[in-house]
Amino acid sequence: MKTLKYLSILFIALTGSQVSAQQINNAELQVTGLTCSMCSQATEKAIRSLDFVESIKADLNKNTFAIDFKKNRPVNIDLIRKKVQDAGFSIGSMTATFNFNNLKIDEGGQAMAGQETYQFLNAKSKTLNGEVKASIVDKNFVSGPVFKKKAAEFKGATYASGYGLVNGKKTRIFHLTI
Amino acid sequence: MKGFGLLTALVLLTGAVKSQELYVFTEPASNMPSGSVGARLTNEGFFGNGWSSRTMPEVMIGFNKNLMGHGQAFLSDMDGKYRFEGGSLYAKYRILSVDGLKTHSRAALFGRWSRSNRPTYTEDINLEGDNSGWQGGIIFTQLLHKLALSGTLSYTKATNRQPEMATLQPDQMIGYTLSSGYLLLPFVYKDYKQPNFNLYFEVLGKTNPANGHSYLDLAPAVQVVLNSRTRIDLGYRFEVAGGMNRRYTKNMYLARVEFNFFNVLH
Repeated sequence: MKTLKYLSILFIALTGSQVSAQQINNAELQVTGLTCSMCSQATEKAIRSLDFVESIKADLNKNTFAIDFKKNRPVNIDLIRKKVQDAGFSIGSMTATFNFNNLKIDEGGQAMAGQETYQFLNAKSKTLNGEVKASIVDKNFVSGPVFKKKAAEFKGATYASGYGLVNGKKTRIFHLTI
Repeated sequence: MKGFGLLTALVLLTGAVKSQELYVFTEPASNMPSGSVGARLTNEGFFGNGWSSRTMPEVMIGFNKNLMGHGQAFLSDMDGKYRFEGGSLYAKYRILSVDGLKTHSRAALFGRWSRSNRPTYTEDINLEGDNSGWQGGIIFTQLLHKLALSGTLSYTKATNRQPEMATLQPDQMIGYTLSSGYLLLPFVYKDYKQPNFNLYFEVLGKTNPANGHSYLDLAPAVQVVLNSRTRIDLGYRFEVAGGMNRRYTKNMYLARVEFNFFNVLH
């Protein structure tokens, strides 16, 4: 029994990154500034080059991209933003389907899942389980005016920079609304 | 001319069109995607003393999201035999980018350095083949719903004025352009394979700050985009006001094909 316990600890330690890897199933991106299908194609190809992207489908009329993520790779949300910006455009909104496993949100709205830290703007003191749709509302994941409005509403210290101290370490914190 | 005016009125009245900023005679303030490479082949022709034409192979690279560069070579039969006449380097740096859902504002600075072994015939300066020199300028592009407007202001200095051409001593030029573009087809997108059909109207002007000599051209153009990566441009510029003796670019057609390779440098 003890061996099993150690083995399972070892397993969790070895596959630790995969715990967070399975936390985002898919996302829908609204990209702003796109005016031509050439621009959309360039953006799509840039996002597709990320190793955790399984597939991507564009809606050329709405300028949205539906992205499915690989199950066994950690999703790096910031890299998606970088690819959109490198293509010359901006994210107008991003909604992702998270797969939470008993995610405990504390009274301040913060929650830790694997290696990721999330700050919820409209939820606190509750537990999330299973598939949850959430919008990422950090800087450069929403339009400039929306970011300013949210920053005025939510006075948390981490929102403006997207970083905060978690257990004494500077950590990337994504701000979510559900 | 009348046909184009009518077409513009139709375009603006229907309101069913979207704006487009892949301008034919000028550059927009928007950049190429980072890590992308483009190749262009442009042919320009003039109907002055007989017909002569210039061919310009061009390579474009998006170095990062803010910096892009072009390298061009010029070949023409303007001085008799068809020959290599020079080259040009162009760089554009984006300094402002504000995106909204259906609007965006962009601003960029650009510079050009050119060499040409052609003799000087006119006070006009054309760094795309006819003169050696340099150019610096600023571009603003504003997309507002269905209208994309882009303006350029530039300063050009020629460095190859021959001393014997005393009358052509003025060696600088202020350039200004105003461009607008429309996406006519498709009305509704289905996929990347659908051809796009775009229409452009550009106003291209230059003034010699030393003596006030100026000209203003109107330059309509049509454009087809295939597979969302290959561009075919066809345009014509004609003088509507002012003028400069023996200027190169008067009443000139432009035909171009451009191939884009996205995300190949990463």
